[in-house]
Amino acid sequence: MSPERAAARIGGRARVGIDLAGALGLTGTLLAYLSLSALIPTVVAVGYGEPFWPFLAAGAIAGGIGLGLARLGRRSPGTIGFREGYLVVSLTWLLAAMYAGLPYLLSDERQLSQPIDAFFEGMSGFTTTGATVVTDVDALDRSILLWRQLSQWLGGMGIIVLALAVLPRLRIGGRQMFESELPGPEVNQLAERIRDTARRLWLLYIGLTLVLIAALLVVGVVGLDDRLNPFDAIGTALSTMPLGGFATDNRSLEPFAPVTQWIVAAFMALAGVNFAVLYRTFVRRDTTAIRRDEEARLYGVLLLLGSILVFAELVHADLFSGGEAVRQAFFQTTSLMTGTGFAITDYVSWPTLSVMAMIGLMFVGASAGSPTGSVKIVRHLLVARILRRELRQTIHPELVMPIRLNGQAVEERTLRAVLAFVVLYIGTFIVGAALLAVDARFSNVNLGITESIAASAGTLGNVGPGLGFAGPMGSYEPFSDFSKLVMALLMWIGRLEVLPVVVLLTRGYWRV
Amino acid sequence: MKIIVVGAGQVGSTIVEALHGEHDLTVIDTVRERLEPLAYRYDIVTIEANGASRRAIQQAGTSAADLFIACTSRDEVNLVACSFARAEAPRATIVIRTSNVEYIDLWREGRLDVDFAVSSELETARAVARSIGMPSARQTDVFADGQVEIVEFEIPVGADRAVVGHPLREARIPEDSRVLARIRGSSLTLPGGADTLAEGDRIVVIGSPSAARTWGALLAPGQGRVEDVVVFGGGQVGAAIARTLSEQGIGVRLIEPRLERAREVAEQLPECRVYNATGIDADFIERERIGRAQAAVFAIREDAMNHYAATLARVHGVQFTIAVVHDTISTDVYELSGVDVTVNPRGVTAEEIVRFAHDPRTQQVAMLEGNRYEVLDITTKPTSEYVGLRFREMPIRGALIGAIVRDGKALFPRSDEVLQAGDRVIVFTERSRVPDVEKVL
Repeated sequence: MSPERAAARIGGRARVGIDLAGALGLTGTLLAYLSLSALIPTVVAVGYGEPFWPFLAAGAIAGGIGLGLARLGRRSPGTIGFREGYLVVSLTWLLAAMYAGLPYLLSDERQLSQPIDAFFEGMSGFTTTGATVVTDVDALDRSILLWRQLSQWLGGMGIIVLALAVLPRLRIGGRQMFESELPGPEVNQLAERIRDTARRLWLLYIGLTLVLIAALLVVGVVGLDDRLNPFDAIGTALSTMPLGGFATDNRSLEPFAPVTQWIVAAFMALAGVNFAVLYRTFVRRDTTAIRRDEEARLYGVLLLLGSILVFAELVHADLFSGGEAVRQAFFQTTSLMTGTGFAITDYVSWPTLSVMAMIGLMFVGASAGSPTGSVKIVRHLLVARILRRELRQTIHPELVMPIRLNGQAVEERTLRAVLAFVVLYIGTFIVGAALLAVDARFSNVNLGITESIAASAGTLGNVGPGLGFAGPMGSYEPFSDFSKLVMALLMWIGRLEVLPVVVLLTRGYWRV
Repeated sequence: MKIIVVGAGQVGSTIVEALHGEHDLTVIDTVRERLEPLAYRYDIVTIEANGASRRAIQQAGTSAADLFIACTSRDEVNLVACSFARAEAPRATIVIRTSNVEYIDLWREGRLDVDFAVSSELETARAVARSIGMPSARQTDVFADGQVEIVEFEIPVGADRAVVGHPLREARIPEDSRVLARIRGSSLTLPGGADTLAEGDRIVVIGSPSAARTWGALLAPGQGRVEDVVVFGGGQVGAAIARTLSEQGIGVRLIEPRLERAREVAEQLPECRVYNATGIDADFIERERIGRAQAAVFAIREDAMNHYAATLARVHGVQFTIAVVHDTISTDVYELSGVDVTVNPRGVTAEEIVRFAHDPRTQQVAMLEGNRYEVLDITTKPTSEYVGLRFREMPIRGALIGAIVRDGKALFPRSDEVLQAGDRVIVFTERSRVPDVEKVL
């Protein structure tokens, strides 16, 4: 080889630092498998005598694009490393949201006929946000309605986690992609192999969903709740377990009987616990697992305190009394803290302090390793401990204080990531709120500062409802297309916990 | 008695010095320079070989040995030597020296086939604890997720009159605890209400962790509680000292110059405050008020550093200093410059092994897991004849129920408590009665 040719080869290699073809290929494979999920609403559509081709077409398009990308990936030389992982995870979720929106677009449903609207609804589905641009849910076809609920259920435990659990060997480095998708700073391994951990998480998730469906079906059939038909029972269960928030009724869960609301509230509270802890509790019969977990304990305490505060406010303001006040307070607090977004009344009109408390808990979120959104309790716990350490080290500069979680010292690197996450999360939230507020001015949408803040927090935290017209009984439909796009991206960033997406925006990621 | 000693370092030679007259000794070491002085001074056999070699073990006549001591400074060599020795002489008593607390735990669990394990670090820590005025809790065993502790104490001179000198039924025994055994000289008794405890006894106490701490305080002679001890150096020895002290409820501050090690120690010992500092930084010592500490322990690896740091600490007002000796000669240097107590890890290890060699039986009794006594953890069957009986009605058959665990909670039964089916009982009993106890429960 001549020196010139050698030099050209050297010069030609070092442009892109990641294996782009490999990453796209893996994304394609994941998308192709995911497209099979369109078969379920197809069957439902056939059953209800509704048009089924939108689902088949959406599946075919997604499958085709997926297979095309997968072909591209065959040119990739090596295996997917942790650097490519960020791109794969982010891109997969973006494409999944688009795929979820396709049936809305292809059907002749007027409320979701705009591409942005369909994308927003699809993203809101997979990210388990529960914000909707639909104004009249009752007018949707049953099959479309079910697809909305199903997309939340699929997104709840994670697409990659699902792929790891069921697909034959993926060319995945394993742990890292799992980590960037599963919420929380650290992954709680349940088995030696990532694959078995993923499987167990999904099996538990499926099991709990089935229990909830059965409970709701019984409530409906026995006649405890006349309003709850089997479709509502299944649909509600599919968006309760992933802490999603899409409802099968215009008035969210308001029309259902108290017993239904209690059951849903209980399962929301349960789904807000780390699934690894739930697995130890229910599958390994380790009854003290929840009590031993510091995060779960704090979750319980916060949920209880929040509910009591809201209850006191409700009684004080004479809005509700007795058992009804208890139910309203517990349901609404749980729904917002876990990032579900169900409502059993339009709580926006509640006393300020109670709404503030619930919005505050919205920023806390539920536990890591659960389908909740937001910051997660464990991060708040760690940040508090980091601050306490800083204060002590101000007085004793030489003091060495490892920060512990459940008795185990947490690595300094994890702590830095937690701090970075919190800063990035708040930054993203502020930028989002500002963009929404500014855009509302230009597009003549009636959106105050409070409402833009609530919309940004509600979408970034994967909670769902905001305030004002986007409140729990309302819809995001009045927003401009630009705002909807911003919020869809906020949901995406929020679901993947900011870092995997933001790292793609740095030059260093793409360079060698 | 025929004794084989592997390792002729400081520990080995101290053992030889103590035992040479009355026993037949064979010493194995790889270094001739260490063997020769011993061979010239004492009437013993020396073998220049690797203790981890099977041939050397056989050549030393291990199959006829009564006692086999592996006390080189390397754990691995000691472990291998002991396992060969066990193969050669299944009936011999085997003693291992280890610096790793993990091996000690392994031995306590009965998974290490030796009769006695000694750790220089642990022995040093105990010696330090004793000199600070705490009774040495010789061994702590934990049951029922830490709710029940079995601790062996030495009753020091000046122990609290609340428990010493009165018949047990009149003594003010801390709540949630009882005395399982009293060892006086070489005899062990399961004490009844009429027995008394005396200074110099060793006792085995079962109780809740807080009761165990109360016992510790009762047995501490004289002055009030020690609350603040500073340990310089966070190596193996320093960490062991810090752990032993904080297990006895003493507040420990530890100073370690290497950041990585400081972090490790801080992770292992949540109760200690760990500083990353050199310990000879006057500014730091002033700022952290090291001078206010009730005692300072110097466990830095280099004796010269210990010496300087101890002097500096005294300059800053520390009243009581204890220094660890690595080189025998340092003892004199320390003492000349005013260090109050010196502890030689190799010396205390050798002492402990020698004590064992003199009378293996009592030692084993004290260690609980030896030949004569055992602690059992049994769940009572519904068919047991004891179920439904009050504790005072139970016939005594050389066994004592120290604690019961009911619904996950530990109880320390009074005499009118009734045993229920499904209770987990923790029983202290003679080994020969183990089958009986298992049968009746």
